[in-house]
Amino acid sequence: MTYAYLFKYIIIGDTGVGKSCLLLQFTDKRFQPVHDLTIGVEFGARMVNIDGKQIKLQIWDTAGQESFRSITRSYYRGAAGALLVYDITRRETFNHLTSWLEDARQHSSSNMVIMLIGNKSDLESRRDVKREEGEAFAREHGLIFMETSAKTACNVEEAFINTAKEIYRKIQQGLFDVHNEANGIKIGPQQSISTPVGSSTSQRNSRDIGSNSGCC
Amino acid sequence: MNFLRGVMGGQSAGPQHTEAETIQKLCDRVASSTLLDDRRNAVRALKSLSKKYRLEVGIQAMEHLIHVLQTDRSDSEIIGYALDTLYNIISNDEEEEVEENSTRQSEDLGSQFTEIFIKQQENVTLLLSLLEEFDFHVRWPGVKLLTSLLKQLGPQVQQIILVSPMGVSRLMDLLADSREVIRNDGVLLLQALTRSNGAIQKIVAFENAFERLLDIITEEGNSDGGIVVEDCLILLQNLLKNNNSNQNFFKEGSYIQRMKPWFEVGDDNSGWSAQKVTNLHLMLQLVRVLVSPTNPPGATSSCQKAMFQCGLLQQLCTILMATGVPADILTETINTVSEVIRGCQVNQDYFAFVNAPSNPPRPAIVVLLMSMVNERQPFVLRCAVLYCFQCFLYKNQKGQGEIVSTLLPSTIDATGNSVSAGQLLCGGLFSTDSLSNWCAAVALAHALQENATQKEQLLRVQLATSIGNPPVSLLQQCTNILSQGSKIQTRVGLLMLLCTWLSNCPIAVTHFLHNSANVPFLTGQIAENLGEEEQLVQGLCALLLGISIYFNDNSLESYMKEKLKQLIEKRIGKENFIEKLGFISKHELYSRASQKPQPNFPSPEYMIFDHEFTKLVKELEGVITKAIYKSSEEDKKEEEVKKTLEQHDSIVTHYKNMIREQDLQLEELRQQVSTLKCQNEQLQTAVTQQVSQIQQHKDQYNLLKVQLGKDNQHQVSNSDGAQMNGIQPEEIGRLREEIKELKSNQELLQSQLAEKDSLIENLKSSHTSSGMNEQSSATASAQDSEQVAELKQELATLKSQLNSQSVEITKLQTEKQELLQKSEAFAKSVPVQGESETIIAAKTTDVEGRLSALLQETKELKNEIKALSEERIAIKEQLDSSNSTIAILQNEKNQLELEITDSKKEQDDLLVLLADQDQKILSLKNKLKDLGHPVEEEDELESGDQEDEDDEIEDGGKDQDHI
Ligand SMILES: Nc1nc2c(ncn2[C@@H]2O[C@H](COP(=O)(O)OP(=O)(O)OP(=O)(O)O)[C@@H](O)[C@H]2O)c(=O)[nH]1
Ligand SMILES: [Mg+2]
Repeated sequence: MTYAYLFKYIIIGDTGVGKSCLLLQFTDKRFQPVHDLTIGVEFGARMVNIDGKQIKLQIWDTAGQESFRSITRSYYRGAAGALLVYDITRRETFNHLTSWLEDARQHSSSNMVIMLIGNKSDLESRRDVKREEGEAFAREHGLIFMETSAKTACNVEEAFINTAKEIYRKIQQGLFDVHNEANGIKIGPQQSISTPVGSSTSQRNSRDIGSNSGCC
Repeated sequence: MNFLRGVMGGQSAGPQHTEAETIQKLCDRVASSTLLDDRRNAVRALKSLSKKYRLEVGIQAMEHLIHVLQTDRSDSEIIGYALDTLYNIISNDEEEEVEENSTRQSEDLGSQFTEIFIKQQENVTLLLSLLEEFDFHVRWPGVKLLTSLLKQLGPQVQQIILVSPMGVSRLMDLLADSREVIRNDGVLLLQALTRSNGAIQKIVAFENAFERLLDIITEEGNSDGGIVVEDCLILLQNLLKNNNSNQNFFKEGSYIQRMKPWFEVGDDNSGWSAQKVTNLHLMLQLVRVLVSPTNPPGATSSCQKAMFQCGLLQQLCTILMATGVPADILTETINTVSEVIRGCQVNQDYFAFVNAPSNPPRPAIVVLLMSMVNERQPFVLRCAVLYCFQCFLYKNQKGQGEIVSTLLPSTIDATGNSVSAGQLLCGGLFSTDSLSNWCAAVALAHALQENATQKEQLLRVQLATSIGNPPVSLLQQCTNILSQGSKIQTRVGLLMLLCTWLSNCPIAVTHFLHNSANVPFLTGQIAENLGEEEQLVQGLCALLLGISIYFNDNSLESYMKEKLKQLIEKRIGKENFIEKLGFISKHELYSRASQKPQPNFPSPEYMIFDHEFTKLVKELEGVITKAIYKSSEEDKKEEEVKKTLEQHDSIVTHYKNMIREQDLQLEELRQQVSTLKCQNEQLQTAVTQQVSQIQQHKDQYNLLKVQLGKDNQHQVSNSDGAQMNGIQPEEIGRLREEIKELKSNQELLQSQLAEKDSLIENLKSSHTSSGMNEQSSATASAQDSEQVAELKQELATLKSQLNSQSVEITKLQTEKQELLQKSEAFAKSVPVQGESETIIAAKTTDVEGRLSALLQETKELKNEIKALSEERIAIKEQLDSSNSTIAILQNEKNQLELEITDSKKEQDDLLVLLADQDQKILSLKNKLKDLGHPVEEEDELESGDQEDEDDEIEDGGKDQDHI
């Protein structure tokens, strides 16, 4: 399966907020009710379609436990997107967001798209963090926000796809250097072949991109 | 440090006093000189002494050298010397050739100095930061030093690097260094860094190591590349081996596709350098890492699929069938193909159709088997072929069937032109080479693995022995050879085949027991007190006998279970039998074989156990032991209980099936009911529609009727006048004229009559006057009488004419009379008539016009009524038919509802019955348990509940967390 772009994601957040479950729901459409503590980092991948373009998402699900923090920090650099997850039924996971965000901002490239996710929205009765609080935090720090449930799959797809859309938008705006793999973005094999066909094509391409960004 | 002092003390005769002093002086200079040049020269001098006086320099200078690294970063030269010196102290690499006998000691030295160096974690961090220096003099020795540290004390150094920010990521940049030396040494550094550390392996992979390494391998010319390719391949192996996350990343990154060109080594390759062989070997191993049988099944199978889809498997098969490939590579290629196809139906199917480019083309499987049973082929190659064959048959019922079928009488190629797999296996089984015997036996056993059909099919195989003798069955031939006391390897192979064949196949057991020589042979073998080397064979014989008991269906009178057990009791003794049985799993080679499916033996003598067979032993050892220890009574009881259990089971399953069926029926009926309800509703709405239509029509009809009634009254009042006027004055006139005409006619006729009368009178008188001539008068009278007759006749006609005319006249006259009467009556009723005839005439025409219009209208209305009534009839018919359908549907519905209640009732009854049965089973189970027979808990029904419970527990746990 060829792809137009490849994006690298990381999933971060406190232990037990449901990071691995979100990934599993996204890649395998399954839910795992038992907490299988992630050791270090686990990899997952899936293809999505944005604006008719195939985009391969490579996702690194990190361990939330404090002891793995030094390992997981190695993954910030080189990721184009990050899902920062908290658990709406546990306020402390929300309170820790600031430190997570600091970590992310410090170790990642400045263009990394961060999606804030309030997970376990199915447990409405045990809600401890209001949706508005999540929205406010996201607004304050310039993040995209969503509430999801890895259990019911509600908004899971959207969380991953909307992040990809935002990265894609940034590419079209020229904010990402797609040729530098350290940004967590790679142009697909076919794409790189078609680019150097001729100056006229590349010009047309750039105009296309311009017009697209204009309409967005 | 104590250790070091000891070493120093022991070496007091070593370095001369002057050297130690020199080193001390140099160290002082490094520490205290304010001139950079001076310090640089001192470090340089230390470097030159560091190889020869490793210990002294290490002990005295390490501290100062580290200090230099911290403070003199601006001068790359001094940093370079310091790093080199440290490298010389720490590394064991260069030492080896100097003093061989002190290698052990120097190894200890290296690790001791490493320990000192990394005691301060900052030293490692410092070294990491120096590696960011682009200057060759710094970077290169830095890389080497860090590599040495990692080689000395891998886990500790790895841990320090892992926790230092971006430590691993920064080292990845070495792969991008344009200077080949640094890049290549960077690969070595990463090798040491990633050795058995999953976390680091993942970070390195995350930092695009796969891409970089594959690029380097491609740039260097794949297997034709030098040692760099080798180093890259080793690093790749480090990253992938036993690392599922990285394997998944590798597969998802489409890197498997990039391996394919590695194996594009054509037939015409001019030579195989040692490096190329090494490289290709590592490449093949890398493929195997991805499809290893020890990986999670899902991971391996998705890689297997990818390897087929991108043509990698096909490429490997080309190497397999190519000529001039070194045996080493060929062997590893066979092993690789084996694991790429193992348990993957698509790949196995593909492999079944691979042909060797011989003339005529032969299936690769046949060609490979030829090598397996060929004594002259290298041992490892023969093992590889066996592995390949096993992998081809693993979970491949189709392949198993195909192999066995080549042995069956109907399919054996009578022309003998082509050798079949079956022939080769038989040849191997009965050859004089014990290795061939073993391999063929194990291969054949794999064709039977978990395949009851093939176990039975194989019983049909007959072998022609010598000319003149009757053919003997394959099973028989195996036992014959067994009893001939051949080599241990042969007998072990055959016994493993027989055990596999007979297990789970009562028919094969019966066949086996049918030969009366077999049981005595086995008991004899087991009972005898033989040497140690025979113990395994004894164990296998015990297993075979055990299988013959455990899977015995008691179809042979003389070898029923009970009788065989008595035989064991009498001839061998239970304890003894069990002890002998235990010899198998206690054998030193057993556990080794049970670990991995690949038949991998250091030398032919070790070729004893097959991996799949060890599984069978594990499965059967316990149950056979139990079966032997059981008394016949227990056995009987158990048999009974088993039977009743089976019966109950079958009853339960029967009911379960029934309930399932009924459930299905119920569901069907429910659906039917719902569709019928739906239809019914539709029809009812149709009916109401039609009823309202009919009502409309009725209303219309009534309206028309009312209109028609009015019209009719109108018409009736008019038609009275019309009838009065039915006789026209013209007609009267015409009739009168007619009468007149008739009268004149009559007059004419009367006058004619009078003429005739006078004529007749005339003639009469002339007749009487002529009497003279009698003769003439006679003729004349004859003539006359003739004339008279004619006239008379004419007269008669005329008279009748007249009569009829007078009748007609009378008729006309009565008619006239009537008409007159009528016109008189009319004249009376129409008084105006008297005034003016013209007015009447006008009025008449007027009335006449209206009348005809009305008549027309009436006619039309009549038509309409007719049409409407026809329509009504049609509608009525329709209504009737829909009413009847509704009735039918209602009926059907009622019936279905009845059926549903019936089946519900039935189901309830069954459930009760089932509960009963369960109760009974439970009690029986309890009984069984009491008898000491373990009962498997049937908890299908409970498992769902349990999950719920788990959930609750989970939730509870979380709740607590939350609090
Ligand atoms: N009800 C509910 N439970 C969830 C949801 N997502 C995750 N969980 C549960 O939360 C627990 C933790 O989920 P994980 O995905 O393993 O948590 P994690 O963030 O990966 O944790 P670490 O690996 O330790 O960092 C598990 O028991 C999940 O079943 C959700 O959306 N709804
Ligand atoms: Mg996790």
